Amino acid sequence: MGVSCVFSYPVPEGRSGAQVVDILQKQVETMGGSKTGTFYVDCETYQSVMLNPPKTLHILHNSEYPASCFAILDSGATLVADTLFIALMSNLKNIYQAWKGAKIESKGNRFQLADFILKIGSVSLAGSFKGILLEVEYCPCIVASECWAMLKELLQSLIGNIAESPPSALKKKKWMKSTPQQPQCCSTWTISTTLGKLPP
Amino acid sequence: MEAAALAPSLKNIAPQQEYLLQGSILDTHRDVLLHRLRGLCDNAERNFEAFSDYEAVYVLRNSSTAQQSQNQHVTFRVRHALDHSDAPDHIRYLGQAELGDRSRHTLVRACLDVACSSNVRDFLTEMGFRIDHDYVVKGHFFHKGRMKVTVYKIFRLIQPNKTDPHNLEPLGQSHLVELSVVAPLGQEQIGEDMKNFAEQLKPLVLLEKFDHRKIQ
Repeated sequence: MGVSCVFSYPVPEGRSGAQVVDILQKQVETMGGSKTGTFYVDCETYQSVMLNPPKTLHILHNSEYPASCFAILDSGATLVADTLFIALMSNLKNIYQAWKGAKIESKGNRFQLADFILKIGSVSLAGSFKGILLEVEYCPCIVASECWAMLKELLQSLIGNIAESPPSALKKKKWMKSTPQQPQCCSTWTISTTLGKLPP
Repeated sequence: MEAAALAPSLKNIAPQQEYLLQGSILDTHRDVLLHRLRGLCDNAERNFEAFSDYEAVYVLRNSSTAQQSQNQHVTFRVRHALDHSDAPDHIRYLGQAELGDRSRHTLVRACLDVACSSNVRDFLTEMGFRIDHDYVVKGHFFHKGRMKVTVYKIFRLIQPNKTDPHNLEPLGQSHLVELSVVAPLGQEQIGEDMKNFAEQLKPLVLLEKFDHRKIQ
């Protein structure tokens, strides 16, 4: 586990998402990255019924942590639990209801490039394409502030100016340690996948 | 890749049921029962396996009209091992108990155990749950095949949120004895096995299916 950040990559007009993903992948391979499988991140959203004040709960799955799921409340509280947590949610269906059509997922290929892990995924909301996300992880270090220069150097050759400044999650944190209160997986992915931040 | 395929498939785990028999034994006779169980259960050569857990019961009520909310509440039990502080916390959901007819030997209820991170109590409070009651259980644990036997005592917390031994007050003068199996639905053979096992503990302890609604 190292320091990772997620970026949204714009799809230029006249090109399809699949084409852009393909170009990015080829670029990573040209840089010396080798494909090490696929990855999958999804987020389901539940909304409270009759609770005052109303609450929203997101549940994230990440193929890097196949036996876990991450529950995030709109207040920022986070819980790491077994994947069975989703079965607990079905017992709460009178109080927390799944927001139909709000399932968002990011799927794609995972690459290893020396000390970096790169994931290029196309994001879809309820099955329709929404954009492209790129996750880059620098594995050997957990001091967030020390890694940005390294990440930036790699990212600029891949996505250019999009990686000009570090994501806000990375700025706030000194240590990228995974704690129950703030699991690393959530802090990087929620920002990009929760519904409020979606590209239109 | 395998990992990617695993995540969605794990969501579809068959619902689990808990088959349960309960009884009690006076504190003074507990040791006799422990030795009997040690002889009957697996790992007889080992010492007794003790456990000490803190359990908090959380309730989430629908804040609609009072009458409806009586029926519409969900209870989660959060457990934390006091003797293994690095072990994960657990959320346990227990469904409505079904007694069934005479041909069914045990109580059956839906059961869901989910391990989670140690901030679960704060998280449930954020979700809208409120703590209903909490207690500490201390006792011993045995297993025979997939059957689990626990002999434990319930302790009340004199001051809230303090689980040190000076703050615990034992409830009653007896230990609870539970024989349970968690398995997928529809395995009626388990009831038969449990009944046979319970027979071997007579007359020390009578394990029966109790209707919790009558006690409340």
